[in-house]
Amino acid sequence: MPTMTYLQAISDGLREEMRDDERVFCMGEDIGVFGGAFKVTDGFIDEFGPDRVMDTPLAESGIVGTAVGAAVVGLRPVCEMQFSDFISCGFDQLVNVAGKMHYRQGLAVPITVRLPTGGGFSGGPFHSQNPEAWFMHSPGIKIVAPATPEDAKGLLISAIRDPNPVLFCEHKHLYRRIKGDVEAGVYATPMRARVARDGDDLVVITYGAMVHTALEATEELEGVRVLDLRSLVPLDEEAILDSVRACAKVVVVDEANELCAAGAQVAALIAERGFEDLDGPVVRVATPNVPIPFSPPLEQAVLPSVDRIKEACVELLAY
Amino acid sequence: MPQMGVSVAEGTVAEWRKQPGDRVEADEPICVISTDKIDTDVPAPASGVLVEILVPEGETVDVGTVLARIEVEGSEALGVGRWALEDGTDAKPNGGKRYSPVVARMAAQHDLDLEAIKGTGRQGRVTKKDVLAFLEHADEAPMHIESPYRPEPEPQSPTPKAQSPKPGALSRMRRSIGEHMKRSLETAATCTTWIEADMSRIEAGREQLGLTALPLVARCAIAALREHPQLNAWLEGEAYTVHDAVHLGIAVSLGDEGLIVPVIHDAQELSAEGLGRRIKDAAKRARSGELRPDEVRGGTFTITNPGQYGSIMATPVINQPQVAILDLEAVVKRPVVIDDAIAIRPMTIFGLSWDHRALDGVLAAQFLASLRRHVEAWDGG
Repeated sequence: MPTMTYLQAISDGLREEMRDDERVFCMGEDIGVFGGAFKVTDGFIDEFGPDRVMDTPLAESGIVGTAVGAAVVGLRPVCEMQFSDFISCGFDQLVNVAGKMHYRQGLAVPITVRLPTGGGFSGGPFHSQNPEAWFMHSPGIKIVAPATPEDAKGLLISAIRDPNPVLFCEHKHLYRRIKGDVEAGVYATPMRARVARDGDDLVVITYGAMVHTALEATEELEGVRVLDLRSLVPLDEEAILDSVRACAKVVVVDEANELCAAGAQVAALIAERGFEDLDGPVVRVATPNVPIPFSPPLEQAVLPSVDRIKEACVELLAY
Repeated sequence: MPQMGVSVAEGTVAEWRKQPGDRVEADEPICVISTDKIDTDVPAPASGVLVEILVPEGETVDVGTVLARIEVEGSEALGVGRWALEDGTDAKPNGGKRYSPVVARMAAQHDLDLEAIKGTGRQGRVTKKDVLAFLEHADEAPMHIESPYRPEPEPQSPTPKAQSPKPGALSRMRRSIGEHMKRSLETAATCTTWIEADMSRIEAGREQLGLTALPLVARCAIAALREHPQLNAWLEGEAYTVHDAVHLGIAVSLGDEGLIVPVIHDAQELSAEGLGRRIKDAAKRARSGELRPDEVRGGTFTITNPGQYGSIMATPVINQPQVAILDLEAVVKRPVVIDDAIAIRPMTIFGLSWDHRALDGVLAAQFLASLRRHVEAWDGG
C-alpha cells in the first residue's frame, strides 16, 4: 500500500475519481496551469486538459454558482476555494442556491467544495479560519473533515459521489505534515465517526487536525479514547453516544472559535441524549471567540494546544 | 511547584504555612519549598480560601506539580477550574454530596446506598469507576466469615435424571415474599431467643374448647405483650412506635403458592374462642383469595405456626416494621423433671425473633418467660 501525505492523498483521490468518472471536473483559482495554491491539482491540466481543470476568475460566487448549474445538468464539479476563508464570497450561492435547490425544485446538486481550512502557521485572520459551523447551521449541505490521508482520499470520493452539496474541509496544517498508508484505486469512506484510539475512562471528541493534537495530548494518559468525527453533517450521533456510554467523561475539542462551533452541537447532543451516562461536566477546549492572530506566539496562545487538551483531560479524569 | 531556578527540576515542601480552610491573600506566603540549596517562601498566586493541600510536608515533587488548590471568590478555583465544589455548610440534599447523572442512575438500578461507597474523585466524589468497583465486589462475602469448609461435591448419579429441571420465573407472590424477607434481614438486627414451655394446660384447654393450640397461645402472647408493650411496636428508620392495641398477624400457609399474614385487629379484645374463630375465618378466606387489602395491613406483632410437620425450632424473619415475631412449633411429649421427679409432659419450644435495634435480649427473655407463665397457668383465658 503506498504511503502518501495528506495532500498527496487528496490529489490521488481527485485524480482517481476523475479517471473513473468523466462527469467529474475541477474549477478554482490558479488550479490549472499553476497547479493550485497548495499544488493539490499539480499536473492535472496535462492529464485531463483545460476543460476539466478550469482556472476561474477571483470570484467565489461565480465558482459556486457555475458549479451549481453544471451539477444540475448532470456533471460532478469539484470547486477549490484557495482558502476556506474565501467561501464567504460564495455564501449566497452555496447556502441559498445549492443548499435549498432540492427542497425548492427537487433538483440534486452534487457539487463538492474543497475548503483548505485551519491555522497554526501564521496565516493571519483571513487565511486560518475553520468556517464549518457557518454551514452546519444551514440545511441542505453536508460537511466532512478528514484527519488522515486514508480518510482524505476516501471521503473526497464519497463527497464527489454524494448527490448533495458537500463541503470538504481539508486542513492545511496536515497537508505535508501527516503521512499514512493509502489504498490504491478508488474507494469511498462512509461519513461516519471512527475511533482513533480506544479507551474507557474519558473520550476526546474532535475532528480534522485536532485529532492529531488530541492523540498527542493523551498519549501518556491511560484509558483515553479519541473519537474522530470525520463527518459533521451528518453527525454520527450514535458513535458519540456510544462513546459517552463507555467513557462517561467527555472533552470536546474544536480548532474553530468556541461559540456555536461543531463541538457545541456535540455537547448539546450529549446533554440531551447522554445525560444519564455522564460522570462529569462536558468540557470544551476550543479557540476563544477572537480572530486568529497573525503573530506566531499569539496564534499558538489561542489555538487548542497539546498542553491545554492534556490539562483538560487530567482535570476531568480526576473529577 | 514553581520553578525556583533554571537548573532546579524538583523541590521539597518543607512547611505549610496555611491549612485547608484558611484564608489566603495574593502574594502571602503559603508554604516553604526547600530545594537542594535554599528554602524559599511560595507566595499565593491568588486571594481566596485554601481548599486542598495536594503535596504534604516532606514530599519532593517535580516542577509544575500542583501543590494546593485555592478557591477564589466567585467559586472559580485555581486548578479546580469550574468544578469547585461548595463546602458542605449549606443545607443540601444528600448531606451536601452531589452525584453525577451516571452514578445516580447506577445507584437507582442496583439499589445502592451511595453513602457506603468510598469516593476517589475530587474531594471524595463518588465516580462511576467507584460504583463499578463496588458492584464488582458486592457479591463477595467478607473474608472473616468465610469458612474453610467446602461442601462435598454432589455424587454424580449414574443414570440420567428422570426429569430435567425446568427453569421458570418466580410467581408474583414468591417475588413479593422474597423481597419482604430480604429487606427485613437487611433492615433489622435479627436475633432469636427460645424458651421451653409445658403445654399440658393448653392441651387440656384446647380439647375442652375444640380448638387448635394456636388461639390459646395467641391469647397468652397478647397477655405477655400487655406486660411488655415494647414488643408490640414498629421501628421505621429511627421512629419507634409502641402500640396500645395488639393487631395480631397470623402467618397462613397457602401451600405451594406461598404465605400470607392476615391481621386480626384489636386482638386484645378477643377471647381464645373469638381468636380461634377469627383465625379460622381469616385462614379460610386467605386460601380462597378473599382477603381485603386492609386485612393484611397494620399488624403490630406476628405469630407463625408451622409446627404441624413436627419441626421443633425455627428462626423466623421479622415482619417489617414490627420488632418481633413469635414462632410456635410442634408440641412433643418429653420426659421433664418436675420437683425432682421425672414426668411426661407435652412440651414445646417458643422461638422469638426480635430486632436488636429496638430492644435487647433481656426484654425478649422476659417476654418469653411471661408467655410461658401464661401458657403454663392456662385457666380458660
